[in-house]
Amino acid sequence: MFNVLRQQARAPLRRAYATQGYVPPAAANNIGQSMIPRFKPRPVSPTFYTGLPSYFENVNTLESAITTSRNILQNLQLLPLPKFARDALPESTPVWKGKDELGFQVETKLTTARYRRLVGLLTQLEEFRKIADTAGCVEVAESIGDVTVLFQRENRDAVLAGGKKKPVQFDKYGRTYTIGRRKESSARVWMIPVQGKSQKPAAAAASSVPSVQAPLPPAAEVNESQNEATSPDLTPFLSPKPLAKTEEPTEVTATNIIINNVPLIKYFPHSLDRERIMRPFRLAGLVGAYNVFAIARGGGTTGQSGAVALGVAKGIVAHAPEVQPLLKKAKLLRRDPRAVERKKTGRRKARKAVRIFFFSSCSASLMLTFY
Amino acid sequence: MSSSILRSRLGAAARCSRRPAVTRICTRGYPAAAVPQEERPLETPDDWTQFQLDRAEFKTLVDHFSNYGSTQTRDNTWQPHHSLHRPVAPTQLTLSTLLAAGAHLGHSKSLMNPNFIPYAYGVRAGVTVIDLDHTLPLLRRAAKLVRSVAANDGTIVFVGTRPDLRSAVRKAASRMEEQGFHVADRWLPGTLTNKVQMFGAQAVLKQRVVPDLVVFLNPLQNMPAIRECAMEHVPTIGIVDSNVDPRIVMYPIPANDESTRTAELIAGVLSVAGREGVALRKEEDLKRQRRAERMAARQRDYERVAVE
Repeated sequence: MFNVLRQQARAPLRRAYATQGYVPPAAANNIGQSMIPRFKPRPVSPTFYTGLPSYFENVNTLESAITTSRNILQNLQLLPLPKFARDALPESTPVWKGKDELGFQVETKLTTARYRRLVGLLTQLEEFRKIADTAGCVEVAESIGDVTVLFQRENRDAVLAGGKKKPVQFDKYGRTYTIGRRKESSARVWMIPVQGKSQKPAAAAASSVPSVQAPLPPAAEVNESQNEATSPDLTPFLSPKPLAKTEEPTEVTATNIIINNVPLIKYFPHSLDRERIMRPFRLAGLVGAYNVFAIARGGGTTGQSGAVALGVAKGIVAHAPEVQPLLKKAKLLRRDPRAVERKKTGRRKARKAVRIFFFSSCSASLMLTFY
Repeated sequence: MSSSILRSRLGAAARCSRRPAVTRICTRGYPAAAVPQEERPLETPDDWTQFQLDRAEFKTLVDHFSNYGSTQTRDNTWQPHHSLHRPVAPTQLTLSTLLAAGAHLGHSKSLMNPNFIPYAYGVRAGVTVIDLDHTLPLLRRAAKLVRSVAANDGTIVFVGTRPDLRSAVRKAASRMEEQGFHVADRWLPGTLTNKVQMFGAQAVLKQRVVPDLVVFLNPLQNMPAIRECAMEHVPTIGIVDSNVDPRIVMYPIPANDESTRTAELIAGVLSVAGREGVALRKEEDLKRQRRAERMAARQRDYERVAVE
């Protein structure tokens, strides 16, 4: 074994607590049985003297994991990765635990610097897992994944899905249900594409069972063609090329726009309100394409027409996603945040100030205010 | 959460097998820039497998022809990772090893501490040259100390608070198994002098909290720690450079404190000696245990005879 062992074997028998080698001078003379710390157990963790044993153990273990994974990937010719291979890797979306949760896990109060250090190591490990996973090295990826999953949030999928807008649902008849709001008004808007005479109607769905995804509009006077469930052919409306001699002329369909069971013209006698609702159709070039049924509540004419217009714009985008950039540029997809400003104390109205009168001959204390 | 779960999963990662399509060819260290790569898009796992096989093929070729090249290869020349992973034993330590590690380079002449003069060889180009004829025996003395402390079941703490010293202290502590500890980031003030608050009253009463020896790889940045060790009567070993008073630690090792290679060499030497001490201690414990068992057996025999 070692040279030293052979030398020690030749040495005389040693006592249980031999003082060969080293004894602190201060303790040499009056060492007593109870003072010998020899028989107390040692601290277990090698990071005991850092003051944060659990944290540094985790850091050391992660660093070892990174070194091991790097060696494995180098043996598999996956590291170092050239640029074109790195570009072929998918986006990684790890959702690491927050500072508090991770601090609870590593049994240490984490400062931002310590948290970032841990997350930096975890990101590196996740990068290696991604490389192994993309290259098809399943066992390596799974082994690394077993380590990284301990530090990821449980509701990872929910977090990744959250923050994105839910897509507008189509019910079995092909109707969209959208909501628009403006000032104090809100409007619920159902839209269905109009079936032209050239398109063969599909078998009418006789059941009136409400779909789970979108609420059904209450019974109203609508076109019979609304019952068909086929998606419309928008090329007659969107195609810019001129008609050839053999082509049929564009079929112009008529739509019904009904608000609170009343046709548009009757409900909004003012042309400005009607124009507000027609504007998304005009910009998209889909004026006769959809039947609209809306229920508007609250507010006045302007508010209700604005709410319906927003609902209609969202519905058009759901049916025809290609017009989304167009309507977005025209600011029709924006919920107008303008609302009536509140009245403040010390003022007559939101902005209207109180009038103050001064008498020039008297002192400032004679200032009179009128309410 | 204890890191035992982490460690078990690490073990699984190390033992895992690879896809049978890719054979295990260990050709690490070959520069990627020299390997020709076709820049084709990698879409399916089969594309990736082909990419791996192409690389492996090229490297096999290079390794084959390397046999006909220089006799100096990666395996038989010194590599930077050797100072960490291939430690030198105290008996194998030579002046050449210390010189190669740059242990003789001190600080500038104007910064020389007057108490360091006995350990200085001289000054050249404004830089103090440390006398390695003093360094070598002092390093071996420190190694003997570490071995003795470890053989007497003592705990040793390796302190290296610079980022480049982190891996050296970790490795040194791990070589000493359960008797080695390390402080790689920051020595928290009050670790020894305020131990009840730091570790809790139960730990102080039940465990051996005060270490038996502390090794400093950068003592100048850890003066509070050295002061605490002095207050708690803990012996210290430290790498002292020419701008440091050697009396701050009990067993100074005059050497270059700025060189990572020197620090890794010294930590390696001390940890190898410590490993020997741990082995001695285990052997002693085993002998004592066997002796106790024999005594107990003999006692039982006597009692049986007495009864009869």
